[in-house]
Amino acid sequence: MGQSNPAAAPQKNLSHVLQRRETTVAYLFLLPALLFFAAFVIVPMVMGVVTSLFNYTMKSPVSAESFVGLGNYIELFQDKVFLRSMWNTVVIVVVSVPAVTFFSLWVGSAIYQKTGWVRSFFRGVFYLPVVTGSVTVVVVWKWMFDFQRGIFNWALKSSGLIEKNINWLGDQRVAIWCILLILFTTSVGQPIVLYVAALGNVDQSQVEAAQVDGATKLQTFWQIKWPAIKPTTLYVLVITTINSFQCFALIQLLTSGGPSNSTSTVMYYLYRNAFSLYRYGYANAMGVVLAIIIAIFSALQFKTMNTGVEY
Amino acid sequence: MADGAAVWRPVARCVVFCSPCMKGCSRGRYPYGLCSMADLSLRNIKKIYDKNVTAVHEFNLEIADKEFIVLVGPSGCGKSTTLRMIAGLEDISEGDLLIGGKRVNDVEPKDRDIAMVFQSYALYPHMTVYENMAFSLKLRHVSKDEIDKKVRDAAAILGITEYLERKPKALSGGQRQRVAIGRAIVREPQVFLMDEPLSNLDAKLRNQMRAEIIKLRQRIDTTFIYVTHDQTEAMTLGDRIVIMRDGYIMQIGTPQEVFDRPANIFVAGFIGSPQMNLFNARLEKIGEGYQVSCAGATIALSDRIQARLTEKQVGERDIILGVRPEHVLLKSEKSSYTISATVDVSEMMGSEVYLHVTAAGKDAVLRIPTTELTEEQRGGFSYGTEIHFTFRSDLLHLFDPQTEKSLLL
Repeated sequence: MGQSNPAAAPQKNLSHVLQRRETTVAYLFLLPALLFFAAFVIVPMVMGVVTSLFNYTMKSPVSAESFVGLGNYIELFQDKVFLRSMWNTVVIVVVSVPAVTFFSLWVGSAIYQKTGWVRSFFRGVFYLPVVTGSVTVVVVWKWMFDFQRGIFNWALKSSGLIEKNINWLGDQRVAIWCILLILFTTSVGQPIVLYVAALGNVDQSQVEAAQVDGATKLQTFWQIKWPAIKPTTLYVLVITTINSFQCFALIQLLTSGGPSNSTSTVMYYLYRNAFSLYRYGYANAMGVVLAIIIAIFSALQFKTMNTGVEY
Repeated sequence: MADGAAVWRPVARCVVFCSPCMKGCSRGRYPYGLCSMADLSLRNIKKIYDKNVTAVHEFNLEIADKEFIVLVGPSGCGKSTTLRMIAGLEDISEGDLLIGGKRVNDVEPKDRDIAMVFQSYALYPHMTVYENMAFSLKLRHVSKDEIDKKVRDAAAILGITEYLERKPKALSGGQRQRVAIGRAIVREPQVFLMDEPLSNLDAKLRNQMRAEIIKLRQRIDTTFIYVTHDQTEAMTLGDRIVIMRDGYIMQIGTPQEVFDRPANIFVAGFIGSPQMNLFNARLEKIGEGYQVSCAGATIALSDRIQARLTEKQVGERDIILGVRPEHVLLKSEKSSYTISATVDVSEMMGSEVYLHVTAAGKDAVLRIPTTELTEEQRGGFSYGTEIHFTFRSDLLHLFDPQTEKSLLL
């Protein structure tokens, strides 16, 4: 061991040179994407954080005079509309994330062993709202929720469940749940597809081993399949959380945050401040707060879901 | 098909039925009022996929309690399917499967009191070795102390105690295989099923684990059903071997029986390494006796073979003559009793030499002890060397070319 092998030395040098060349080439390949990422993601993000410290509006650009420090942040937490929007956002996240995850897991586990066309049919049905595009979907939902001619009111009234039409999108108590329902239908498609794939990839011999070991179907699911699909669940949780926090298009197209801000979310309020009121600095402060909250949620999900996962 | 089921079997103990409340059942695990006995009956078992593909045809086998049965055959012969039907992982299309006299066709795998070792080990990756081995016991609500004892005992038997806290990914192939076996033995099952458990291991480890399984079998006295495509494993492990092809049983017998008296050409070729040489030949009657004419040579037959042929009243006919490579006698000179061949390749193995030759237009392998070679021959046979050989008259196999069945059984 103590003696060096003379034949090995040039080999080592050669491999070092090759390694360096390979690394250089790899970075060169990455460079365009890196530049793009830096120019359109990193720089705007930093600018967003910086401008959130200024009273930056259409009239007052970023300057020493418009510097307000944490003023925008302090104002945020005194702004009732923002607090209401934050509450609505949290409600959307807390309801939609578990609902989407459990429903897609349930559908995924129900269909993943079915024959090809059954699986494709269900995947197609649930994935259709995802590929249709939010505007088209919302137009249909808007008609279904319509106070006068909507199918929900017609159906409930025809079946005698209600006497008076419900103003689904105009009633403060129900509007947010309507938004949640649409968000749910447009969100389950991808997780179902992911779960079908993940469950199909679970090592069948492990499942069979568990069956022979004496596990019931339920025990096999929770003790064998569930740990195997945890990485997928983590991905579904994080993506659904981020999408729910950033719920905007549905609200913009359906209720514009109304009635009385009962469906306003942080993203929608941010948009209004930035593009209707032109309070860029204030809107950016909201963006920073939202990003921090999403990061905390995601970190918690990683922490709880990533334990015991074998990749 | 030859039915060798009657030839040898350990004496099965009587089936013990417990009362429905399972009083008096020492194991108390089997939920069907049945315990301790693990004799299996496979009666006319068939497996049909998609209504038209038959993977296993009319499988009939009686397995005695504590017997070690090996199902062997090439890929796609239905051996794993048969094992999986016994485990309950595949539905039985037709026929009856009885464990301890009780029909279990519709019994869930978990209630059959069987343990199985899979080819891919099938260890649970998120559990430690200890948890993997304790899994089945936990499901059966065995007390923690007992689980700990059983797991540690099994780990000690298999020499994996130091890996108990490791995850499967931190183990080598051989260690994983031990864990898989350990997971099965902690259960003390009635029947131990093994589906090609050694095929993912390298040759050295395979030999080592094969010996371990033999030792294990001596320690845990239970019924084993072992599937392999490796005839060496089959020969060394099994009390009896079931040789399968295309879903049919080709022969059932002890290792020595299937080696000495193969029922057909398939078994003759499958069992034994290098495989048996097969020559086109003609069986001739000389008065009351028989002789074989092969590639211009006259081959004498032993009294045993003559008697068998006479008993079966076999007439003159074309036959396939089977000779194992080690049953060839090299002759120094050509005669009317020898077959001439040219050497293609010679492989010196030390104690013996394998001669790959062309004889009577066919490839053949001769296995000659080096003690029978001249000094010159020990130096090697060059390509094209002409040699002459004959066969041991008492160790010949005669097959019907049409049915491929042995004429001697």
